[in-house]
Amino acid sequence: MGIYIQTVWLGGLLIEGIILVRSVLGRSLAKYPFFYLYIASVFAASTARYVLEIVRPSLQHGIYWPKQYVTLFLGCGVIFEISRHVFAQRVTLDRIARWTMLVTFGAIFLSVAIQAFILPGWNVTANTADLERDLRIAQAIVLMTILVLSGYYKIGIGRNIKGMILGFGIYVGASVFSLTLRLFVGTRFERAFEVIPNTAYFLALAVWMVALWSYEAEPVEKLPSISGGEYQILAGRTQEILGSINDHLDRTVPR
Amino acid sequence: MIQLIISLLVGAALLVFLYFFVRRSKPSAEGSAQQLREARQTLDSLQFGLLPNDLVHRIFAKEDLEYVLSSAPADVQSLFLSERKDIALGWVRRVRGAVLELMRFHRGHARLYAQLSPATETRLALNFAGLLALCRFLQVAVYLRGPYAAPGMVRTVAATAGRVCNISEQSLQFLKVKQLDPLKNTPSSHGASV
Repeated sequence: MGIYIQTVWLGGLLIEGIILVRSVLGRSLAKYPFFYLYIASVFAASTARYVLEIVRPSLQHGIYWPKQYVTLFLGCGVIFEISRHVFAQRVTLDRIARWTMLVTFGAIFLSVAIQAFILPGWNVTANTADLERDLRIAQAIVLMTILVLSGYYKIGIGRNIKGMILGFGIYVGASVFSLTLRLFVGTRFERAFEVIPNTAYFLALAVWMVALWSYEAEPVEKLPSISGGEYQILAGRTQEILGSINDHLDRTVPR
Repeated sequence: MIQLIISLLVGAALLVFLYFFVRRSKPSAEGSAQQLREARQTLDSLQFGLLPNDLVHRIFAKEDLEYVLSSAPADVQSLFLSERKDIALGWVRRVRGAVLELMRFHRGHARLYAQLSPATETRLALNFAGLLALCRFLQVAVYLRGPYAAPGMVRTVAATAGRVCNISEQSLQFLKVKQLDPLKNTPSSHGASV
């Protein structure tokens, strides 16, 4: 392992430790349980891998893929948590994000099941990188859905969740790139495959450390009651204007 | 190869989305009251911002072109075409502006409602996007080939706009104003008189 990867790895462990300590001191542990579970699991797995590399290097590679899958699964929990916080006041938008998650992950697992059933020689353990790339793509799609919906409806997002999205997005995006290139370019890309995700994860950790240094509650909007007088007048006038635009377009241009 | 392209596109799209996410400005801290005030102003501008129907008919009227082509010298024909082009472009800009305002308005108040209809919202968003794109195409077509070159596209813009308006109206059905009847609209029941 190169000196750069070693440095990034150790630096990452240090930052993970800091994030976990700050979660207790800043009282945000209970607010974002999935996120801190994710960080704790990566911290534990990375420490175990580091110790194994010194004590029993032969075992070190054996735990790589199981660790990847556990963190991948917990990563989905982080996205779920992001959606829950961003759309706390919007039931429908939260439901759309969850459905997107369900459909994309469901489609991937269904395709794995079909391949395992149809192709006799196909084995999930022999195609781990393939599956990880597909799952990362699913995470990317769900993250994009959250970004599009929150941007379209101009939903305010607090510092903590903003950092969570940015950090996780950087890591997922870089993972999609490196896993795809690794699969298609092959061993020529092996070196970069180590450098890109490790650097991206280190960057993500740096973002998380800054953004989650202290707890900041999500902005809460005072949504007017749907039966509020002012809103109803406004809605009535909107319908009126919509009708007039419709008439205008209907009449002005010959069909 | 297709898998490679799709995967790389997804990765790139996520990074682009993140870039815009970081650059996103904070929503107004003034809250919904300010948004409602702005929405009212938008409605006013939409209500009084549309051109009279006869005038728009006139912009694209072939008879005018035929008359000028048959009885005016070349420099007058070219002046006529140039001025009609400017007017047509102005009209498209105005329709596009109205659609944008309508979209902003719809988004502005839909975001205040906790339970939306995903199907309606998706259809609306796609129709808004389609209509805005068509307006852009129309602008380019009129700019390049004049106001009489794209009648089919003008019809498509009008038809799509009509569809958007219909869906918008449907999506606002839940807001049907019950108290517009002034006799029923008493301060005691709503806190304010209309």
